[in-house]
Amino acid sequence: MTGGALLAAAALALAAAAAPTAAADPPAGGAPRVLCGVCHPDVRVEFEQGVHAGEGFDCTSCHGGNAAAATIEAAHRAPFRGTPKRRDIPALCAGCHADLAKMTPYNIPADQYALYLTSQHGRRLAKGDESVAVCTDCHGVHDIRREDDPKSSVFARNVPTTCGRCHGAPPPGSPDGAPPVEGSPFADYQVGVHGQAFLAQANGAAPTCASCHGSHGAAPPGIGDVDKVCGHCHATARAYYREGPHARALREGTGPECAHCHGNHRIAPADIALLDTACAACHEPGSEMVKVAGGMKALIAGARDEIGRARAAVDRAAAIPLYVEDYQARLEEAHTSLVQASPVVHALDVRQVEPLTERARGIAKEVESEINGKMGERWWRRVGLLLFWFYLGLTLAVLFLIRRRALEGDPR
Amino acid sequence: MAPADPTPADPTPARRSLAAWLEARFNLTEMLAFLASFGVFPAELDTTRPFREALHDAWRRPLPSYARWPRVLGLLSFLLFLFLVTTGALLAFYYQPTESEAYRAGTAIVRDVTFGWFIHQMHRWSARLLLVILAVRLWRFFFQGTYKAPREAVWMAAVVTFLAATQADLTGRLLTWTTTGYWTTVRALEVIHALPVVGPTLMFLAGGTTPDSLFLTRFYVLHIAMLPGALLLLFYLHFNGVRRVGLSHAETEGRARGETARVQMINMIILAALVFGGLVTLVTLAPTPFEPAADPALTPQGMRPPWYLLAPHAIIEMTPSMLPRWAGGLVVETILLLILVLPFLDTSAGRSLRDRRIAVAAGIVVLAFWLVLTWHGYALEVRR
Amino acid sequence: MTDTENPHTGRPGGRRTAILWLTRGFLSLWAVGAASLGIGFLKAPAREKRPGEGLVDAGTLLSLPVGGARFVRHGARPLFVVRVSETEVVALSAICTHLHCVLKWDDAGGRLLCPCHSGSFDRTGNVLAGPATRPLPQHRVEIRDDAILVRT
Repeated sequence: MTGGALLAAAALALAAAAAPTAAADPPAGGAPRVLCGVCHPDVRVEFEQGVHAGEGFDCTSCHGGNAAAATIEAAHRAPFRGTPKRRDIPALCAGCHADLAKMTPYNIPADQYALYLTSQHGRRLAKGDESVAVCTDCHGVHDIRREDDPKSSVFARNVPTTCGRCHGAPPPGSPDGAPPVEGSPFADYQVGVHGQAFLAQANGAAPTCASCHGSHGAAPPGIGDVDKVCGHCHATARAYYREGPHARALREGTGPECAHCHGNHRIAPADIALLDTACAACHEPGSEMVKVAGGMKALIAGARDEIGRARAAVDRAAAIPLYVEDYQARLEEAHTSLVQASPVVHALDVRQVEPLTERARGIAKEVESEINGKMGERWWRRVGLLLFWFYLGLTLAVLFLIRRRALEGDPR
Repeated sequence: MAPADPTPADPTPARRSLAAWLEARFNLTEMLAFLASFGVFPAELDTTRPFREALHDAWRRPLPSYARWPRVLGLLSFLLFLFLVTTGALLAFYYQPTESEAYRAGTAIVRDVTFGWFIHQMHRWSARLLLVILAVRLWRFFFQGTYKAPREAVWMAAVVTFLAATQADLTGRLLTWTTTGYWTTVRALEVIHALPVVGPTLMFLAGGTTPDSLFLTRFYVLHIAMLPGALLLLFYLHFNGVRRVGLSHAETEGRARGETARVQMINMIILAALVFGGLVTLVTLAPTPFEPAADPALTPQGMRPPWYLLAPHAIIEMTPSMLPRWAGGLVVETILLLILVLPFLDTSAGRSLRDRRIAVAAGIVVLAFWLVLTWHGYALEVRR
Repeated sequence: MTDTENPHTGRPGGRRTAILWLTRGFLSLWAVGAASLGIGFLKAPAREKRPGEGLVDAGTLLSLPVGGARFVRHGARPLFVVRVSETEVVALSAICTHLHCVLKWDDAGGRLLCPCHSGSFDRTGNVLAGPATRPLPQHRVEIRDDAILVRT
């Protein structure tokens, strides 16, 4: 071999070693001998449980080296990457996972790396902050499972816990199993309505961290974007909010968004009590705005109480029993109107809330008065009882008279 | 008049011809005597004489009144039985004994049928009162010694009547297919299941061990046909026996006045009117509320067997765990059997309380035990 | 059996008879009461009108334009009857399959809207949008002469 060819070969080899290249394709033909596990048995066991092992990848796909070698020197010969540095991991994974040609056969998207670079995690990593999450922090290092595997750390059910490893983790030095830090996003989420629904009640429709922040492109919604995120599910509330003064104020400068009143992670169940507390955070007591809030609250509370009273009347009637299915159906209509009023509140306009609450209230009042009319049935029974006693008394008197006659020996 | 003269001495021609026509074809006196054997008419009738004469005779005969203490309990229980049969027959016009229809039929009766709530509540209250009165009647028989010879059969009939009435009540509770009715029956079946011989017999008659549609239908048949028939037979045996052995001394001495049968009939009518009045008052002021349908898949809390089964329930639940449950049931049955054959166990000479000291003392102890066990059976559910 | 004179009191007979008949009349009112109770009870209540059994009247075909819908009250389970073509009418439950709010008909869009969470269903009950996952249950419709009858 000429010196030039040798140099070229060496240069190629160096290039192969230095460049953050894609992992080698799985070897064709029969399964080769992979001896890395001789020295790294724990890692091998983990890796075998992951999805990459099942697709024919082995240690050299990410780490390089020679899998068939029996000695360390031979195994760790170039191209050998060893343990990749944290800041190199995204690019390493992207070697395959950003390559559409490789991902399409598996029907896996190839945009994760691009998204990651836009995310807070990616941007800070690019600035040199290595404490942010990289691929392996969320997906696992060697036992990377499919997303639909319940044991995967990115399985839907496990997403909050995975994010919570950083965004709520107890400080270093805490004992194992310590609860998340008070006030951390994870702790707040667990307590809030979304966390309760998703974790405690196993309602898969409830949002997780990724639902609002995104997964690979994870970033908190920016100012002006919060209602877009919440509005993904709470579309009706968002529509009314956008009509209202708060959204207008935001467009013109600053204004409150969903999280200002409802919280971002520690979201309490929405109740009209918020109309008392949340408004006072910015508005003077006695101001027009506070009056509007008070007005809406009074309307909704009034309708709710009226429906409650009507329901109680229906229950009393059902105990007699009277036929109440029609009334129950009408109360369902009233309740529907009342439920509609909740998102309308976000328009902060009493004139929009009023027709709904008045409809609910009207139906409930009608039902209540009709039922109370029918309850007269019970009153009639008591009147009948009094008449009966009267007649019974007379009859007994007559019977006693006849009896006395008979005792006297009346020959009749 | 030795031969039966079918021509009554009545002046009105129309009445005479109709009465005569009937009298020539049927023994009307025997018909009335048949009714009398169920206690409807208080006097004995000579069935060989024509109707009018026999009646005329009986009217005037002085007899001890049934409408006074202590015989009023028997009369009351029979009156309540008549109310139950009447209201039950009316209810049967609307009731459908299948799992899918029972609750709906019951709802239709109390909600849609005119006076349906009234008939239903009359039936219910009469049943509750009947059981209490039959129990009280047993106690009064005991304390007055109305089980000593020759009245052993009267006592035994009274015991069996009470037991049959409890079975009628039990079968009736399931019919509404409400939550309370269904689960009370399930708890009661647990108790009965533990009784040897009796348990399997009832399960056989009911066609199973858990209430389902076929079970309900067979319970219905027991409730409307077998048990009322048995009760009627028991009433007949009671009246027949009493006519044979006569009313006991305690019945006739002291307060008995020689009241004619005519006065007695009026007494009975007055009593019936008072009972009816009491029932109507209870029904109007304290009806049972409308209950939800039974859900066999959902066991509610706090369901207990009916009150008369609470003491057996307590006994069976107190059986130590190394013994099988039917051992407790055997204890219950033994006690019932001893109560039944009490006349043969009590060998004291006379009927007065002094003569029967041991028996009366034993009776009081049994009553106390029964009350305590009933309370314990009630409390078992609360602890759970 | 009647006397004209009572040997004990010596009262005149006519008054006696009057009292007798008055008493009999008074007491027989009980029989009248019992009879009306019994007959009232035994009179079978009207059964056809109760919801959940039999046919529900949903108005006339003539008054329902093609592509239009009508809300039919029916106890706790109201319905919509939708005329999908000249000859075909579909009866759908008016209760949203998400959280049981009562639906509204949107004539312009030819669909059923749920005001609670912005769900929508098409003319035959399939889910178009929103949180509901199950389509609306259908009922059989019979058209007799001009009357639309729904079999529930």
